[in-house]
Amino acid sequence: MSDRENFSTCEHADDLVSVLYGEANERERRDFELHLTQCGDCRAEFAAFAQVRESIGEWRDEALTGFVSSHLASAQVKKSAMAALRQFFDLSPLWMKGAVGFAVVVFCVLATVALMRLQSVEEASPLATVNPDVVYTEQDLKRAVDEAVAKQQREQPVINIEPPTTPPSTFKRANVAKAEPKGRRPFSKAEREQLAAELRLLSSDDDVDLDVLEDRINKQRQR
Amino acid sequence: METLGPDEIIVERALSGDADAFGEIVRRWERRIFALTYGMLGREEDARDATQETFLAAFRNLRGFRGDAKVSSWLHRIAVNQCLTRQRRAKVRNEAALDDDEERANSFAAPVDYSPARVAEGRQRTAAVRVALNSLPLELRQVVVMKEFEELTFREISEALDLPLSTVKSRLYTGLKQLQMRLAKFG
Repeated sequence: MSDRENFSTCEHADDLVSVLYGEANERERRDFELHLTQCGDCRAEFAAFAQVRESIGEWRDEALTGFVSSHLASAQVKKSAMAALRQFFDLSPLWMKGAVGFAVVVFCVLATVALMRLQSVEEASPLATVNPDVVYTEQDLKRAVDEAVAKQQREQPVINIEPPTTPPSTFKRANVAKAEPKGRRPFSKAEREQLAAELRLLSSDDDVDLDVLEDRINKQRQR
Repeated sequence: METLGPDEIIVERALSGDADAFGEIVRRWERRIFALTYGMLGREEDARDATQETFLAAFRNLRGFRGDAKVSSWLHRIAVNQCLTRQRRAKVRNEAALDDDEERANSFAAPVDYSPARVAEGRQRTAAVRVALNSLPLELRQVVVMKEFEELTFREISEALDLPLSTVKSRLYTGLKQLQMRLAKFG
């Protein structure tokens, strides 16, 4: 190997490095320490290398002390949003703090007012929307009522009723007959009385009263 | 997530659709890969970008991962490739800036430019180390960074780079020797 051809002054170079970095075993260390007592070059070299190592160590410690893991760095970045906001308020002048505070208060008041207005509009009845300052006369009221009635009539569904082709009396009877369910004949008086007696809806006195009443009606008609 | 087991099992889980599994790989190796890229590139911003690109490339090529290599070795190879790509681009784009760095580091070697303030001295020294390391040939720089920044053992480095153990040691020796010579110029 030509790496150390210009520097190697002693065949104990490998042992020197091993002892320098504390990787020599006990026997190698003891042999090299014995060699150092006899070899001035190795002794000087050993001291010089130790000095170089010290210089490198100072630089290394300085460099690695400032090293922050990227995980820690990212955690700091995550926290820094609130921290930056806090820092902004800490560092900002008094007038800026006051202005920001005033703006926040104004915003809150405006937002509250807007919210309240929105709620009142939703809850208000149609009459409540009428301007209370306007004075209505009786004519206005009548016209408004007429308009409302007309509007209601317009909105009601139109029922098509064909004009009657028969005289009114016939029409009424025909309508009544149509209203009666098919297959059912109106009870005669005797049948009603019989049904009432069977259902015990009328006492005998009631029957008398009914007769009297009916008689009175009949009598009136006869007159 | 603490009982996920070896990296290879986690990769299998990631391949089977476990969204959190690859995040665990990132958590395990992020710092070491950053150390590697920082050592290789010498600038924090570049190192962060290269680390991010390394894991993105690894995620994209997850299906190409063969179980015969360690996940750590696979990630190291990707990271080294990312660093080389970035350096090539930077060299084309902004070679003057790197030269400025070197000039700045060289300038404090002169006793007249030596700041009396100890803090400034320390800063200049770390800048000198960075420039000296960046000026090492890739094969030496890679081994030095894996040892000094990632604190891998010789055996881990040999597995990651697929090199014999003796080659790793000799490269580390040569790298340290070159650094010693370059830093000696800075006083």
